[in-house]
Amino acid sequence: MKAMKMWKLSGLVLILTIARVAMAQELKKEFVDPQLQEARSTAVKIKGGTLVFLAGHTASQPRPDADLGNFDVQFKAVFEKIGNTLAKAGGNLDDIVSMSVFLTDLRYTPQFQKMAKEIFKKDFPAMTFIEVSHLARPQSVMEVQPIAVLP
Amino acid sequence: MMVAKRLAVFVVLYFAALSQPINAQDREMVIPVPQSAYSQAVKVKGGTLVFLSGVGPIDEKGVLLAPGDFPGQVRATWEHMRRIMAKVGGSLDDIVTMTVYTTERRWGEIFTDMRKEVFKTGYPSSAFMEARKLLTPGALLEIQAIAVLKD
Repeated sequence: MKAMKMWKLSGLVLILTIARVAMAQELKKEFVDPQLQEARSTAVKIKGGTLVFLAGHTASQPRPDADLGNFDVQFKAVFEKIGNTLAKAGGNLDDIVSMSVFLTDLRYTPQFQKMAKEIFKKDFPAMTFIEVSHLARPQSVMEVQPIAVLP
Repeated sequence: MMVAKRLAVFVVLYFAALSQPINAQDREMVIPVPQSAYSQAVKVKGGTLVFLSGVGPIDEKGVLLAPGDFPGQVRATWEHMRRIMAKVGGSLDDIVTMTVYTTERRWGEIFTDMRKEVFKTGYPSSAFMEARKLLTPGALLEIQAIAVLKD
């Protein structure tokens, strides 16, 4: 009888410990007030997970005078690069929770949002669009600096 | 009966004692610069992260407030930010860092004076810069912030 109780108690301790560890590590992500039209959320709330702060990504190539192409080409190149960076960190584009988007012309914004909608589907990161006069390379029209949270 | 009682006490103590360090939040403002109402760094451990999209001087319907009036727009931006922070279950005091974009960098002093009125429990870290253009037509500033809520 006593052995049985001890057995039950140790089982309970094990279950509770697993529950605690799971509670502590489980990533909770909430997309607050998503704006479908603009492909962004007003805020993204995060509990748990592993943070990844990315550098600003551009379509730049090792050759300084390389033709970086038009806006759409640069968008694809930028997000391919971001995807590669996140893959190296153990994640993917869906893990992005926030992005600072620097454009040389804010008139590109609707096109950016249209293409971003295809990437993020419905869980949109928080986004800020800023027009700047210059980026690191004269051919660059956009630079994207994301923050991601991995499960 | 006795066993059940003891078990209940054990379960409560187990979670209470061990969940404390996970949920506690430590916050330290490193090298505060009170004259400009910011800290050189903010150190935080624990809590729930909130990434905000760029916030501008607009009302609930997205209409620009205080056109051409920088102090009026700063107040409107704080109000907008208060609304978002209330929605995520926090307040402006939970903001740990902000990037402030303005269309004229000479407004820096006005801005920092107005920030002094808002943050009472410690200043967030901050960067202030001039953008060529902001997304909301007529907006003179936009703030991108990160907050950490206490659990």
